Amino acid sequence: MNRLLAFAILIPLTAGTAALAQSGGAQPAKTKKAAAPAAAPVAYVGSEVCGTCHEDVAKDFARNPHHDVETGDKHGGPNWTGKACESCHGPGGKHVESLSAADIRNPLKLTAAQVTSTCLTCHLNRPTQVGRIESAHAHNSVACTSCHSVHAHGPNGLVARKPAEVNALCAGCHTDVMARFQLPFKHKVTENAMTCVDCHNPHGGVKPGQMQMASANEPGCMKCHGDKRGPFTFEHAAVREEGCNGCHEPHGSSNAKMLVRQEVRLVCLECHANLPQPQPNATARVTGVVPPAFHDLTSARYRNCTVCHQKIHGSHVDRNLLR
Amino acid sequence: MRLLLPALALACALPALPQELPAAASSVPSGEAGISGFVDLGYRWVGTGGSFNTYRSVVDLGSGPKLLGTEFTISDPKHRLFDSVTVRAYNWGDDPYATLHVDVRRHKLYDFSADYRNIAYYSNLPSFADPRLSGGVTLNEQSLDTRQRMGSYQLTLLPESWLVPYLVYDRNSSTGNGVATFVSNDDEFPVGSIVTNSTNNYRGGARIEQRRFHVTLEQGGTTFRDDQQLGMAAGSGTNYGNSFSAVLGQKLDLTSLSQAYRVRGDSIYTKALLTANIASWFDLYGQFLFSQPRSTVNYQQFDSGNQILLSQLIFYTGEQSIASAVSKLPHTTGSLGAELRPFRQLRLLPSWFTDRMHTSSSDVNAQTLTGTSLASGPATINSLLSNKLVNNYNQAELSAMLEVMPKVTLRAGYRYVWGNASDVILPVAELAAVETGTVRRNVALAGIAYRPLTKVSLNADFEDGVSTGSYFRTSLYNYQKGRVRGRYQVTPSLSLAASVSVLNNNNPNAGLHYDYLSHQETASFLFAPAGGKRWDFQGSYTRSTLRSEISYLDPAYERPGISFYRDNSHVATGYFDANLPVQKTRIVKLSLGGSLYMSSGSNPTHFYQPLARLSMPVNKTLAWVSEWRYYGFEENFYGYQAFRTQMVTTGMRLTK
Repeated sequence: MNRLLAFAILIPLTAGTAALAQSGGAQPAKTKKAAAPAAAPVAYVGSEVCGTCHEDVAKDFARNPHHDVETGDKHGGPNWTGKACESCHGPGGKHVESLSAADIRNPLKLTAAQVTSTCLTCHLNRPTQVGRIESAHAHNSVACTSCHSVHAHGPNGLVARKPAEVNALCAGCHTDVMARFQLPFKHKVTENAMTCVDCHNPHGGVKPGQMQMASANEPGCMKCHGDKRGPFTFEHAAVREEGCNGCHEPHGSSNAKMLVRQEVRLVCLECHANLPQPQPNATARVTGVVPPAFHDLTSARYRNCTVCHQKIHGSHVDRNLLR
Repeated sequence: MRLLLPALALACALPALPQELPAAASSVPSGEAGISGFVDLGYRWVGTGGSFNTYRSVVDLGSGPKLLGTEFTISDPKHRLFDSVTVRAYNWGDDPYATLHVDVRRHKLYDFSADYRNIAYYSNLPSFADPRLSGGVTLNEQSLDTRQRMGSYQLTLLPESWLVPYLVYDRNSSTGNGVATFVSNDDEFPVGSIVTNSTNNYRGGARIEQRRFHVTLEQGGTTFRDDQQLGMAAGSGTNYGNSFSAVLGQKLDLTSLSQAYRVRGDSIYTKALLTANIASWFDLYGQFLFSQPRSTVNYQQFDSGNQILLSQLIFYTGEQSIASAVSKLPHTTGSLGAELRPFRQLRLLPSWFTDRMHTSSSDVNAQTLTGTSLASGPATINSLLSNKLVNNYNQAELSAMLEVMPKVTLRAGYRYVWGNASDVILPVAELAAVETGTVRRNVALAGIAYRPLTKVSLNADFEDGVSTGSYFRTSLYNYQKGRVRGRYQVTPSLSLAASVSVLNNNNPNAGLHYDYLSHQETASFLFAPAGGKRWDFQGSYTRSTLRSEISYLDPAYERPGISFYRDNSHVATGYFDANLPVQKTRIVKLSLGGSLYMSSGSNPTHFYQPLARLSMPVNKTLAWVSEWRYYGFEENFYGYQAFRTQMVTTGMRLTK
C-alpha cells in the first residue's frame, strides 16, 4: 500500500494523468489533491475552452472516436467528461492564463514511454496488449502516436485503414523493407492488394517479426496458403521447424518463387549435406542428409529438385515428397 | 466489372437523404447524409515485348475495361440500421488482384466488416523448372495458373462495452490448372494438373474488458479440402519424360495417367488471452493457444506405359496404386509476460514462450504392377509407414529498459532459447529415417533510443547470439544482428531518414563452415514545401549486400563443394507530385516517378518501373485520369526471360 501511495505521488510528476488512473484516482478533483504538495493546484478548464483557440483540432476531434471521452459515453477508464483534451494534455489552467506552449503537456516532447503510458491509461487491458512487451516496437520505444493520429476525424480516423495508407505508414520507418517490394518476385504489397498488417501485428506478438498467427497458433502464412497447412502424412521437417522463410524471402527476391537462392538445388543442398552417420559431437548435429548417389548434378535433369520432389511442403502419400 | 453495375446502380438509386443536425455529442459522423465517394472507370492497353510468360509471372496486368477503384460512404443520419457503410474496391475487371472491403457500423451496437480478395497466381518461368530447356523444350514443369480467393467476414457486437462478442468466418480457396510431374521409378513425365482446394474457418468468442483485467476467449474450427488431379488421356500420345537415356536397353514412356488426391481435413482450436493490471507497477500478459488439425487422404493412381521398378528390375506396362492416410497435429502454444516498474525510470520485462507440436500419421499403400516381365504375373507391393514429427520450442527473456536521461532510454536483456525436434519414419528404410536435433541459444540484447530534440530521433538495437545446437545447417547459430535507425526533420518542409541493418551468422562446425553476412543501408527524404500544397518530392535509396558461403556434398560422389551466394543490389524510388491550379477551383494533379532495382552477383537482375500519372478536372464532379507505366525486366543469365511492357490506362473519375 505504501508502494502504491509512493507511485501515486511519483508518477503524476512525470506521466500526469496516466498515472492518476493507475493509482485509482480517476477524478480530476483527486488529482488536484494528490499533486498538491509538489506543485500549485492544477486547474482544469474543460474542452470548450481549449476549442476556442484550437478550433480546427476541436472540430476534427468532435468526429473522432476519442470524442466519447468528452461525452463520458464509453466504458471503463477514468471519467473525463467535458475534459477530453486535458485527459491527455494535462490540466490547462496555467496554459490558458499564459498562452505559453511551455505550460501544457505536448506529447511530441514526451518520451515514448510517457506517451504510451498516457494511452494505456484507458487502453491498458485490451487484446492488443498481449505480446506488446515482446514487440520490436516496444523495445525500440515506438509510441502509440507514431501510428495513431489522436485528433483525426472520422470513425476510422485514429489509424490508416486503406491498404495504400497502411503500407505508406509502415514504409515511413521501414524504408528498407519496403525497398524489397520493388524486386520482381514478391507479395503484392506495393500494388496494395496486401498490407503489412496482413502478416505482421504492429501491436506485438510472441513470434519473431511480430508475425500474425492463423487459427490460433498456426503461422500467419496459412491464412492464404491453406494448402501448405497440413498436417501431412510425411512432413518436410524444415517447414515446421524453421518456417517458410527458411527457403523463401517473403518481402521480395530476385529469384523465382521468392527463393533465397538462384537455383533450387542450392536451396536444398545447403541443408541436405550431412552424411547419415552419428556425429561425435552431438550438440553439433544438424538435420538434412545427402540424397542418394543417382542425383547426378552434372545432368540438367537433377538440377531442380522440386521437379520430382514436387510436394516439397509435405506429402500426403509419399515419404520422399515425390507425389 | 461485376461490381461496377451494382455500384453505379446503388449510386444512382440512393436519393440524397435529408440532412439533419448531428446527434448531440456523438462521435459518429452524422452530419452528412447520403452517399459520398468516387468511382474510377477506365481502359488499359498493355503492350509487351519479350517473354510474355515472364511478364505474367511478374506483373500480369491485362488490357481491357476496368473498374480501377471506388470508395464511397453511405451515411444514415437517423442511425436506423447503420450509421455508415463504407465500401472500397480496387482493380476489378480481370485484374490479377481485385479487392473489396465493406465496413458497416452502428455506434455501440455492432461493427461488421467484410474483406474479399481475388489474387491471380501465375507462374511460368522456363528457367525455374525445365530440365530440358537446353534440349530446346520449353515446357515448364512447375507452372501454375490459379486464382486465390480470400474472404474474411467479421461481426462484432456491442463494441466499446465491457463484454464484446464476435463471430468470424474466413474462407480461402484456390482453383486453376498447371503442369506438374508424374514421377515414376526412373523417369518423370510432365502432365497437366487441376488444382482445387479450400479452407473454411469459423470462430467466435468474446472479449471481457474490465478496468483491471481483460480476457478474450475464442473457439474456432476449420474444414479443409484439397482435390488435385493429374491426368493424361489414353490415346493422347506417348510421353517420354525427362530421361533421354534407355534403361537396360528399353526407353521408358507414359501412355496414360489418372492420378487423384482427395484430402479432407478439419481442426478445432481454442484461444485465451489475458491482460491484467495487478498493481500500478505490475502488468501481466498471457495467452494460451491450442489447435489440433487432422487430415484424411484417399489417393488413386492408374497409369500405363513402359515403366521399370528399379529396385527389383521389373519392367511393367500398367500400374495401380491406392493409398489411404491419416494424420493429426496437436499444437500447444503458451506465453506469459510482465511489465514491472519498480522505479519511474526502470521497466523490467520478463517473458516466457513455449510452442509444442507433434505430428503423427500413418499411410497404407497398395501398388499393383501389371504386364510385368515376371512369369508369375502381376506384382503386388504393399507398404505401411508411420511418421512422427515432434518440435518443442521454448524461449525465456528478461529485458530492462532504463531512462537514464529524459531523452535517452537504454535497453539490455538476455534471451535463452532451447528446444528439441525429431522426425521418425517407421519402418526404417532408404534415407535416414530418424533425425533429431536440439536448439540451445544464448542471446544478449541491447538497445538505445535517443531523442535529443523533438525533430531528431535515433534508435539502435543489437543482438548477439551464441548457440550450441541448431536444427539446420543454415539456421541462426553464432550471430550478431544490429539495426540503427534515425530520423531528422531539418525544416518543416524537409525530413530525412536513414537506417542501417546488419546480420552476421556463422556456424564453424566441421563440415558446415557456414558464413553469412548481409547488410542494408537506406536513406530517404521528403521535401514538401508549404506542407506539400503545391508540390512535394520524395525518394529513397537502398543498398543491400548479401554474402553466403556454406559447404555441401555432391550427392553423386559425396564430394565437398561450396555454395556461394552473392547479391549486391541497389533500389531507388522517387516520386514528384504537383498540384497545378488551372482555375480557381480546379487543380491538375501530376505525378512522376517510379522505382529501379539493379543487382549483381549470383543472379544479376534489372527491374525498372517508371510511371507518370495525370488527373485533370473536367468539372466539379468529373475528372480525367490517365497513367503511363513501363516495366523492364532483365536477368543476365536468362536473357530469354526478359520483357519490356508499356502500359497506358485512361479513364474518368466521378466524384460525389
